[in-house]
Amino acid sequence: MSERFDPITLEILWRRLISIVDEADVTVARTAFSSLLRDAHDYTCMFTDRQGRELAQGTLATPGQSGAMALGIKSIVEKFVTSELQPGDVFITNDPWALAGHLNDVCVLSPIFHHEQLVGFTACVFHHSDIGGRVASDNRDVFEEGLFIPLVKLYAGGKLNEEVLDMIRWNVRTPDEIVGDIRSQTAANHVCAIQVCKLLSDYKLDSLDDLADEIIERTEASMRASITELADGIYTSSVEIEQRPEEPNLTIAASIEVSGDEITVDLSGSSAEVRWGGNVVYNFTYAYVFMALKSMFDPEVPNNHGSAAPIRLIAPEGSVVNCHFPAAVAARMQIGHFLTEVVYRALSPALPDRVLAASGGTPATMNVFYGKDHVGVPWHTVIIRGGGMGASQGEDGGHCFIFPANGANTPVEILESETPLHIECRQLLPDSGGAGKQRGGLGRRVVFRVPEGESALSGPVNMGLQSGRFQLPPEGLNGGCSGGLAHFSVNNEAGDPYGLTQLQPGDVVTMDAAGGGGFGNPLDRELELVAADLERGYISSTRASEDYGVVLDSEGIIDAAGSISERRSRRKAQKAKRRGA
Amino acid sequence: MSERGALKQRLGVDVGGTFTDFVLLDEETGELTIHKCLTTPSNPSDAVVKGMEQIDIEEPGFVSKLDELIHGTTLVINAIIERKGARTGLITTKGFRDILELGREIRYAPFDIMAEFPLPLVPRELRVEVDERVTADGSILTPLETEQARQAINGLLDRQVDSIAVCLLNSYANPVHEQELKSLITEIAPGIPFSISYDVLPQIREFERTSTTVTNAYVKPLTEEYLTCLSSRLEEIGFSGRLFIMLSSGGITSVETAAEHPVRIIESGPTAAVIAGQYYGRLFDISEMFCFDMGGTTAKSCLIQDGVAGVVPTFEVGRVQRFMRGSGLKIQVPVVDLMEIGAGGGSIARIGRMGTLQVGPESAGAEPGPCCYGQGGSQPTVTDADLVLGYLDADHFLGGTMQLDIEAARLGIEECIAVPLGISLVQAAWGIHDMINETMAAAAKTHIAEKGGDPVTVTLAAFGGAGPVHAAGLAQKIGASRVVIPPHAGVGSALGFFTAPRAFDTARSHKVALSEIDLKRVDGIFEQLGKEGEIALGLDAGEEGVTHSRSLDARFIGQGSETNVPLPSGDLATIGTEGIRNLFDVIYERLYGRTYPDTPLELVNLRLRSSLPVKLLDLPSSEISVETHPQALKGERLAFSEHSEDFIPHQVWDRHHLTPGDSFHGPAIVEESESTLIVPSGAMVEVDEYGFLWCDLTEVMGE
Repeated sequence: MSERFDPITLEILWRRLISIVDEADVTVARTAFSSLLRDAHDYTCMFTDRQGRELAQGTLATPGQSGAMALGIKSIVEKFVTSELQPGDVFITNDPWALAGHLNDVCVLSPIFHHEQLVGFTACVFHHSDIGGRVASDNRDVFEEGLFIPLVKLYAGGKLNEEVLDMIRWNVRTPDEIVGDIRSQTAANHVCAIQVCKLLSDYKLDSLDDLADEIIERTEASMRASITELADGIYTSSVEIEQRPEEPNLTIAASIEVSGDEITVDLSGSSAEVRWGGNVVYNFTYAYVFMALKSMFDPEVPNNHGSAAPIRLIAPEGSVVNCHFPAAVAARMQIGHFLTEVVYRALSPALPDRVLAASGGTPATMNVFYGKDHVGVPWHTVIIRGGGMGASQGEDGGHCFIFPANGANTPVEILESETPLHIECRQLLPDSGGAGKQRGGLGRRVVFRVPEGESALSGPVNMGLQSGRFQLPPEGLNGGCSGGLAHFSVNNEAGDPYGLTQLQPGDVVTMDAAGGGGFGNPLDRELELVAADLERGYISSTRASEDYGVVLDSEGIIDAAGSISERRSRRKAQKAKRRGA
Repeated sequence: MSERGALKQRLGVDVGGTFTDFVLLDEETGELTIHKCLTTPSNPSDAVVKGMEQIDIEEPGFVSKLDELIHGTTLVINAIIERKGARTGLITTKGFRDILELGREIRYAPFDIMAEFPLPLVPRELRVEVDERVTADGSILTPLETEQARQAINGLLDRQVDSIAVCLLNSYANPVHEQELKSLITEIAPGIPFSISYDVLPQIREFERTSTTVTNAYVKPLTEEYLTCLSSRLEEIGFSGRLFIMLSSGGITSVETAAEHPVRIIESGPTAAVIAGQYYGRLFDISEMFCFDMGGTTAKSCLIQDGVAGVVPTFEVGRVQRFMRGSGLKIQVPVVDLMEIGAGGGSIARIGRMGTLQVGPESAGAEPGPCCYGQGGSQPTVTDADLVLGYLDADHFLGGTMQLDIEAARLGIEECIAVPLGISLVQAAWGIHDMINETMAAAAKTHIAEKGGDPVTVTLAAFGGAGPVHAAGLAQKIGASRVVIPPHAGVGSALGFFTAPRAFDTARSHKVALSEIDLKRVDGIFEQLGKEGEIALGLDAGEEGVTHSRSLDARFIGQGSETNVPLPSGDLATIGTEGIRNLFDVIYERLYGRTYPDTPLELVNLRLRSSLPVKLLDLPSSEISVETHPQALKGERLAFSEHSEDFIPHQVWDRHHLTPGDSFHGPAIVEESESTLIVPSGAMVEVDEYGFLWCDLTEVMGE
């Protein structure tokens, strides 16, 4: 290890690196156009040393983007001929295989120069609400999904390449918004670079190299120390992911080998690529495997290149978790988000206090709506949502979060004032939380109505959907029950969650999000907690007696003595059943 | 003015967590008298009355001479943190009962899967729905079903609620249904406290508006009770002046308005320091001043630009994870833009998992306190480091009323930090001191950058017990070369009570593209807001001179967040859309580096502050004298110098004996009873005519 930094200076410099990225992050929140960025925080800022090794990322980074960038930026940087880079260069790309796995995630990357020497790179990925193409999950290849921007220079030596911006403008539905957001990306990188240079000046450093070595080595050592505490062994599991009714369900298989201070996650045995947009690139697969392991082993230490070093990933080429160009990838979160769940499930017997049961927000749900208002002006909006969180050994699951990704909802009043849509309700779904000693979080119902009569729109409203859990619910852990299924209907008839749905005036769309899985045997849930759930309407009296084995009197109040004896006999029956099996 | 014109005394009373501070101002002489007594949490008015009785012993008859009493209190925030508010019911639009519980759904710590979230103040069983619907443009889609509304109200009363909140969807655009519910509540349950979202804060975004309205309802009964009790007890002891309450936004208001809008007094306490800072900024004509108040547990700071502190529209209270943004209840009320971080004298130093030194945000608090308090604390803190470095004097802490144990401080740092890290005691102590400065500097820089300020040109004003000890170190880290320490810096925020204007903020959402704006209509809305503001100010007969300052929140069409644009006086029709556009571009460019004049704008909210003129305060000043005052120089002691990397002799000055015109060079230490200023080698200190210490760091930083 380097002797250059005493432990005090090192901590000071390390904090400074993180505050630099957070400052860039704030710049985005204040300058971005799209509500998906500002309200929903679907973006990630980070920077690297000159070898492309990640040093710091924004505190509120989206795990899928940040994990994928950590790999992607490094391999882009390794291909640069550094002598050809110059101050003021800014690159742009949305290559799904190079970075975050679908075309909407656009990366802006800039070298950082200090005293004319290359010292590092700053990068940010934003989820742009539109990137052209056909907005649906059932596209057959990436060519249908929108504009593909290979790695090109947006600025060369500080001079804007207008042609590149024009090329983007003419390929998207809302050019002003996209260009505004690209400007915001450039501004965020600029803020980051200026602050990195200032840090180097303040501490009279010529480069980030020694600091990077020190931080990365210490982070890696901490992650390794934590892994060592877990007994060596191979832990396996798999998850099944639903497909269109006519196609067989998918499997993600995981064999996790813990050996000393290293972990190898082998996804061999997972299904082959699919003929719709759910394919996941290697980087994105890696991101959610990493999310799971980091959250279990070393959640407090800030992420950088060192956190990932002890983790090896094997994902078979051409499988749905390591797809080839030109597979369709727009809806990669519909499969990619399950990678965290499969890791938790495999390791749950060994580390039951550090995992969650399956979540209704896995995968995240995304709705894209677009059309023309009553005077013919085009409008377009993207909203994201989660579902009930899985319960853990110690806590009930929270209601409605996106997990393992992250993001916020768009307020109903913002949606109604910026689009012609009318929202009839947004409310919790009673009984959707999986029963357990700790209950899963509840799912949520949202109902949209397309205006009719006087305020009817010109033409139909197009709706694209990315979601899941319509057939297979989020499962519980350690005896906990599954959460409720998701539902999607148009005018009370089941809709097709894969295609583009055209809505007519007066149509009513109902979207129910799945609830989280429970943790532990529901018969062990404290009676007071069941009583509180009943009073709040989180569960019905039917489920209270059926799932939780409580006895209610004629007023609907829990009869404690009766419940205890009922639960005793049910446990006996459960035991007998297990022995029989 | 009134007959009270003859009475010339004003009293500021700040009820804090540990102490209730009293500051008495004699307006004729400008003299300040300070008094402290222990806070009485069960009924804070006990301490207020007791403290006033104690002052009365020293200044007989002062109560009857009081013209005004200005009161700041942590009552509201504590009631929320401790969940001791009223049993509150919420009435909302059909389909939206769970808005309060769903919140914005973001996980504030993405990799912490066990992160906790705060429970809503109104549980689900006390949230009821009514059939009604207003659209985003304010038209009525479904009229309010009156009979059902009555049932909803009666249902809540059956469940024994003590307070009712009403927040309907899109009511910011048309409050008619909320107003109907208001009349129904008054009819069915006369006397029950209620809060209507349109009255509390009529702004777009249903979760934030609901959360704010509910919070207001939750603390309304206890605030009302407290203020009524306080008023009558003050009357009993002979107080006949006017009672004002400090608002979180930096103004003061009448008891009646505070009782109606208790959510507006949530940050009542810490605001005073900012107001004091604003006053100093104006007094000395400093364009950018960074106020920094470092106490035992936290450091609070605020950037004041041209004598005005920023006011932000949202606030988070009762964070489940302290200092973790996003882990608290979000409310939308105007609050002075204070940044609070876990950095204080009591911040604990320890070795983190990475084998590096960590300081804070955990604090040793008052019990057991730092090692050197000798009350059993074994974890070293910032105060311990400051003592070991020679910055604090073990025999003269708090004016000598508290003896510090330097050996205990050495032992704590040695055992917990120096030995495990393999460094010397002094390196460890300096590390703790320097680390907390760095933590504050990082937060300060982000805060200053967010406001579009420049850390290099700010003047740093230091308050609080620990503020002056760390001021020079912090200033160097952010690049500021000038530090000012006001008199009574240890309780220096107190002056804020006397310089705060009587003011009230109102706002309304009005979403329209600038190209389609009807300026006359906007003028009309501002006029209406002005009337509401005047009512809230509760003017006495004959009081006049209310000014209304207007601003609007605007953004590029399609952008997610807004930029506040203050408007000059005069009709908007005269300013014109082009004028508004120019004002926006100037501010946007200052904040974000560049603007885009061709991208169209839209308005989102209109804001108005109604205020009465600030009372001028004449600080007592003395002639600058060229004489030296040998009695001010107490002697010298060894203290650590970063520059020499060793202990070197520092001159020790007694602030109480320094007089205007005195000046001296660092290395030096200036002691007063509540605080200590550290002056590094090369720095120059001057005492001005008001007794402020000005510390110039240009030479220190030029190295």
